[in-house]
Amino acid sequence: MDVWNTIILKNLHLFGEGLWVTAQISVIGFTVACVLGMASCLVRLYVRPLRIPATVLIEFCRNTPIYVQLLWVNYVWPDLFGWPQSFFAAGWMALALQSSGYLAETFRSGIEGIARGQVEAAHSLGMSPVRTFRSVVLPQALLNMAPSIMNQFLVLVKSSTLVSIIAVPDLMYQAMRLTAIWFQPIEILSFTAFLYILIVFCLSHAFKVYADRLRERFGLVLP
Amino acid sequence: MESFREAVDVTLFWEYRSLLLSGLAFNFYAWIGALVLVHVMGFSVCMMRLSRYRPLRVAGTAYAELFRNCPEYILLTWVHFVLPLVLSALLQIKLNFPPFVSAVLALGLAYSGYMVETYRSGIQAVPKGHIEAGRALGMSSFDITFRIVLPQAIRGVLPEMLNQMVSLFKATTLVSLIAVPDLLYNVVIVTQEEMRPLPLYTWAAIVYCAIIFSASTLVRKLTERWRSRGWA
Repeated sequence: MDVWNTIILKNLHLFGEGLWVTAQISVIGFTVACVLGMASCLVRLYVRPLRIPATVLIEFCRNTPIYVQLLWVNYVWPDLFGWPQSFFAAGWMALALQSSGYLAETFRSGIEGIARGQVEAAHSLGMSPVRTFRSVVLPQALLNMAPSIMNQFLVLVKSSTLVSIIAVPDLMYQAMRLTAIWFQPIEILSFTAFLYILIVFCLSHAFKVYADRLRERFGLVLP
Repeated sequence: MESFREAVDVTLFWEYRSLLLSGLAFNFYAWIGALVLVHVMGFSVCMMRLSRYRPLRVAGTAYAELFRNCPEYILLTWVHFVLPLVLSALLQIKLNFPPFVSAVLALGLAYSGYMVETYRSGIQAVPKGHIEAGRALGMSSFDITFRIVLPQAIRGVLPEMLNQMVSLFKATTLVSLIAVPDLLYNVVIVTQEEMRPLPLYTWAAIVYCAIIFSASTLVRKLTERWRSRGWA
């Protein structure tokens, strides 16, 4: 209990700062992942000449472990592309890279799941391809895919612990630093694990309720 | 362009092939060890979840939720640094886990949470009539479980199970964080000696990608064949 008072309670602000960095890197990473995933999925589906490069990119992102990608982005990209220059940027880029591959496949299955007849109907009503995509295909596909997209966000939050390895001061980094200073791993690591489990658990339940409500509201008929 | 050529230059990676290959072997050992734990724990906790006794059900659900929601990295450090201390205090003996044991334990626990759900969805998909038919024929509940329910359940969720095994292999790269000398760990060591991160990290990524891509392609092909036979 002494340890609890002296270490955890006194350093609660450090846990808070770490949590804030975790939240930032997860949200930025996921936003970039959605954009990248949607772009690569659209290229793969609709831009014939670039289909093979897009497929290779998606498969590379999906089939490389996140830790390898993190080190790769952090150590190789600055020399290769001159970017990222900060650990934080390397962290969210690696997280985004990994998730973009999975999201691209999710988007593709969602888009391909829309009945062909609907697209043809929209065309015969004189809608342009962009309009068809935007107001017929995408809304239904997004509703279909909502659970998998939200699940991918949780995977990303869980992977975000790894950015502590490249010295991004997230929750995990603060926990490891405090452990190194005080050498009381039992309390510190257990508390951190509890925080992560609680966060992911709450998020996953909130998302599930939200996704169910969305589906109910728009009266989705699942295929 | 110069740095691009450096990044895809394979000579350095090839020079250390025996060290790196022995590292890759550790990835496979950790994978196989964790796989055994995943299936043992996954199946037994699933049986708890579906038990008719409420305390067992609650414990099983708690187990699955706990390990599904815990990030693998923190679980790994927790098992490696905290669990030995807790066990030492409880059992009154000096206990220390070698990194490999912690790695197998942590990965096994982390992925068994998902496996519980996979087993459960498979078992619950078996029609109730089959179980009732088994009972009507006078089969024991052991026979019903192992000869009627499980064969059908596993056949149904085999694709999902194989996908999880591939993800587990992906996660084995994390074991290098607690100094298990796997491929990535050796790559990091060699990088510190040679100071040439570009080719080493790039080829590490390519090698992992090739292995995991072949595995997941194999799974997809097998799954398609099973589906066409009406299995899965």
